Amino acid sequence: MGKNLKLKSARVAKDMSQKDLADAVGVTRQTINAIENGDYNPTINLCIAICKALDKTLNDLFWEDD
Amino acid sequence: MNKKGLDEMQLQKRNSIGNQSFVMLLYLLLLDAGLYGFGFRWISYPANVMIILSLCAGIYVIRLIAANAFAGPSVKIQKPVLNVVLIILLVILISASILVIMNNAGFTSSEQIGDMSAPVLFITAAVAILISATTFVIKAKQDKDEE
Repeated sequence: MGKNLKLKSARVAKDMSQKDLADAVGVTRQTINAIENGDYNPTINLCIAICKALDKTLNDLFWEDD
Repeated sequence: MNKKGLDEMQLQKRNSIGNQSFVMLLYLLLLDAGLYGFGFRWISYPANVMIILSLCAGIYVIRLIAANAFAGPSVKIQKPVLNVVLIILLVILISASILVIMNNAGFTSSEQIGDMSAPVLFITAAVAILISATTFVIKAKQDKDEE
């Protein structure tokens, strides 16, 4: 699983740190870091929470193009 | 999201580490029983089980902390140094209390408490101190690894 650069760029675009996003969705900063680095595959509930926090859709952040 | 408990990644890690620790405990107890069956006694009865349990529990806790799966996202540690110092003082106090109680208990025979009971208690306290110190070191390292 590669790095999720879409998530990182969306987070940076909203001027949020990993800690800010983690607090917004109720997880630890390490979890957000692991998702961005592709080390952890989040559940659909967490994906939806992240999308809502960043005002993006699931396709925008988690759909991998071929 | 459950703000009071561990998040989903922490739960996965905790379950994984717990399973591995349990299997390690099982194998160590089996190894100990096997050695006992062959006539090799590395330490007498109450202490061997206590040491194996303390070892596995210590490894479990240290791995949980190292994997950041010990405290959930809502737990904010404001004074970790003070907490560690308080824990160490508590452990020392408990150890001293045990020592005083054992000395003043008035046992008529050492067989009443077993030869290894006192060392086992002190081993347990020593393990607790070791865990506290290790916890502090790991947390300090994790704080430096930001981003």
